[in-house]
Parts: sequence; structure tokens; C-alpha cells
Amino acid sequence: MMTQTYRLAALLLLMVLPDLALAATCSCAGTPLMGALNTSTTEQGDLYFSLTSEFHEISDLVQGRKQIDDETGRERSSLSQALAFSYGLSDRWALSGLFTYIEHEREVRSSFFGSKQRTSGLGDSVLMLRYTPLYITPFSRHELSLGMGARLPIGKDDAGGLIRFSEDMQPGTGAAGAILWGQHRLAFNQAATRTLTSSIFYTRNNWENERDYAFGHQLVAGVDFIQNLNTRFSYAAGLRYQHTTSDRRLGFEVPNTGGQWLDFTPAFNYSLDNGLDINLSGRIPLDRKLDGAIQFTTSYSYALSLTYGF
Amino acid sequence: MIAGFGLRAQDLAPGFSGIDLQTGDQINLADYRGRVVYLDFWASWCLPCLVSLPAYQQLHADHQSDDWIIVAVNVDEDTRDGLDFLEGVSVTYPVIADTEGEIGIPYGIRSLPVSFLIDQQGMIVRRYRGFESGDEVEIFADIQELVNN
Repeated sequence: MMTQTYRLAALLLLMVLPDLALAATCSCAGTPLMGALNTSTTEQGDLYFSLTSEFHEISDLVQGRKQIDDETGRERSSLSQALAFSYGLSDRWALSGLFTYIEHEREVRSSFFGSKQRTSGLGDSVLMLRYTPLYITPFSRHELSLGMGARLPIGKDDAGGLIRFSEDMQPGTGAAGAILWGQHRLAFNQAATRTLTSSIFYTRNNWENERDYAFGHQLVAGVDFIQNLNTRFSYAAGLRYQHTTSDRRLGFEVPNTGGQWLDFTPAFNYSLDNGLDINLSGRIPLDRKLDGAIQFTTSYSYALSLTYGF
Repeated sequence: MIAGFGLRAQDLAPGFSGIDLQTGDQINLADYRGRVVYLDFWASWCLPCLVSLPAYQQLHADHQSDDWIIVAVNVDEDTRDGLDFLEGVSVTYPVIADTEGEIGIPYGIRSLPVSFLIDQQGMIVRRYRGFESGDEVEIFADIQELVNN
């Protein structure tokens, strides 16, 4: 009986060890939600569907601004599949929605122990109502869109079995969030083949999940220059700034969460005859200043997206 | 400048007038009351317009009649760009310029090409967004249906 108890204790210890040994939590430098959200300009009755596959390599170990060697040999990645839609309720109002399926993988290779953990399941969803008072037209070079919505915790947030995995390994956050969004587009010529898009996206996470955990509030601001080379091909180059406050458990800040990130965001888009658009985009870190003693954070990410308009 | 809402079927077509870029004649939408009007907005930088204007000219040449007419509105910021484009297409139906959006904004123009089918009473019957080769067949069928009503 005693032996069995020790075995069980040892088993539990082994399962929980990776989390204890890696107290530095992961900042994914942004959930994939906003990048996959379809905010295409719509007219009444227009319907767009997008399918986005986004990969995040999250293996950089960073102390403040400084990247340091990771002696744990840890590797971490996330792959998300997102189905998004955008529907024109009228010429000025549109509804955007997003559903996600998330896979997290974490592997630790050290001389003392090694383990590989995988979680997967439905992630959070987003619903957002957008209002566009200004459009780019042959007579106007400016477009302005404003939106508000919610992040809906319909996903899985109890992955891990007996010992639940840490919050950053869960496919869903388990708590709702409020979303504010704004976007301005400036056309440099009448044909709008060169545009500058500035956007801001804010998620306020006041609600805690069942484990009294609340993710940090997140502000993402971006600016993208987009050039259409012809009717089919366009490319974009942009900068993306993100500020995330620390996560909270029971109202207290969770150490080693939150920070600031600045990324370079290139993208390429190809339009097919049948209304299908193919988009390849990436995120390359330029600078980051992370809160706490040490954090794992995004090394790079890329996304492939297919969009179809009806 | 805030663009107007896009007009839809059953809306009254906003009135306008202008000078025909090629003949200098005064063009007034109200003068065409009693005829079916196919109103086409285009620009020299609009690539589908390279296809649509010759197709409309062919329709106009093949089926000329007092029952219907094509009226084109060029929205180039510099009207000379529109005139250069017309030299290559030899359009013989009326084309007027709208550099400031005086016509286009009331029609809620957001992208090009876009066209409106206007019935004999001045009501918008249908709006067409974009153009692909072959679309002119369906468009002329719609025109004929209105003419025969």
C-alpha cells in the first residue's frame, strides 16, 4: 500500500515538475485572434469567409530586453486554425466573427528529465460589430472603421487531466473579454493601389476564469503599407506594437507575464479569378521588453490565409 | 468627404447634368425620361473598365434604339486621363466627367466599375458591381426586358 502511495506521489511529481521547473511563464506575444479576424470592407449583403492557419514558435527566453540561453532545451509552439467571417449588415454596419482551434506543444529536454506535452481543442471566439462612417472611394482617400465586441470563452480550458496544465497551455482562456477596435486607411492615389492602414485593437480582460485567473489586458497597434502591383498581387510591410499587462490570479499579478513587443510584419496576397484570395504573412520580432525576471516569448510566427468573398 | 449610401433597386435615380466630353452636348438625366438608361461609372485606372467600355460600345452599336441609351460617367481626377482612354475605345455614347463626385457621391459609388439600370420612370431597377467579359449579355437581356415592359 505504502509503495503504491509513493509511486502515485512520484508520478504526480513527474507530471507537475515541468511546470515547477519552468516557472517562467509564456508570453505568446499575442493570441492569433486579431490577425485572423476578417475586417474586409463590406457593402450590404457582402459575405467573406477566411480560413487561417497560424504557427507561433515560442522558444526565445528573454530577460527584460535581453535574450538569454535556454539551458532547459525547451521548445514551445502553438498552431491555430481560425475560421472567420464578415457580413455586411448595411453599407456602414458589419458583423465579424471568429472561431478557433488551438494546438499547443511544449517539450523540455534537460539532463534530468524530459517531457513533451500537447494540448488541443476549441479556443476562444470573437464577435465584433463594426461601423464604417468613412470609405475610400474614387472621391475620398480616407476610410475609418470602429468596432466593439467580445471574446467568448467557448473553448477548452481544462486540458491536462489530473494535473491541469498551466494557463498558457490551455486552448481557451476560460474567461470573456471586451474588445475595442479602430482602423484608418489612407489611399495615396485615386485607384487606392497604395494604402497605409493604421489599426488599434484593445482587449480588456476583467473577468477571471474558474481558476480565478485573468489574462492581462492587451493593446495592439499596427501600421501597414500595402502596395498592389496589379489586380492579382499585392504586398505589405508593417510594424506591430503590443503591450500586455500582467496576468492576474485572485487579483494579484502573476510574475513573469506581460510586456511590450515590436514586430516587423510582412505579407503577400494573391487574388485568383474565382474570388479566392491567398495571403501569407509573418511576424519577426524587432524589440521586446518583457516584465518580470524571465519569460519565454515568440521567436517568429507565420500565417497562411484563404479568403473567399460572395 | 462622406460617401452616400449605395443606391439600390427601387430607389429614385438622383438627377444630374453635364457636358459630353466628346461632343460638347449638354447631357441631363431627366431628358431621358421615358427611355431605359444604363448608367456606367468608370475611370481610366479601373482595369475591368478596359473590358467593359468596349463591350458596352459593341452593345450600343449593335442594338442602337430610341428605347434605351448608355450614359457613362468618367470619375478620373484628371479628365484628360479619361479622354486618352476614350481615344483608344472610340465610344459613341454620351460620356460626362465627374471629377468631384457631384454625380458619384449621391449614387454611393465606392468601387469601380459600377453601373445602374434605370427604368423609363427614373427608378433604379438594378445595380451591377464589377464586370467580366460576357456580363454584357445578361445586362442587355435586362435592358430588353425593361424595354418590352
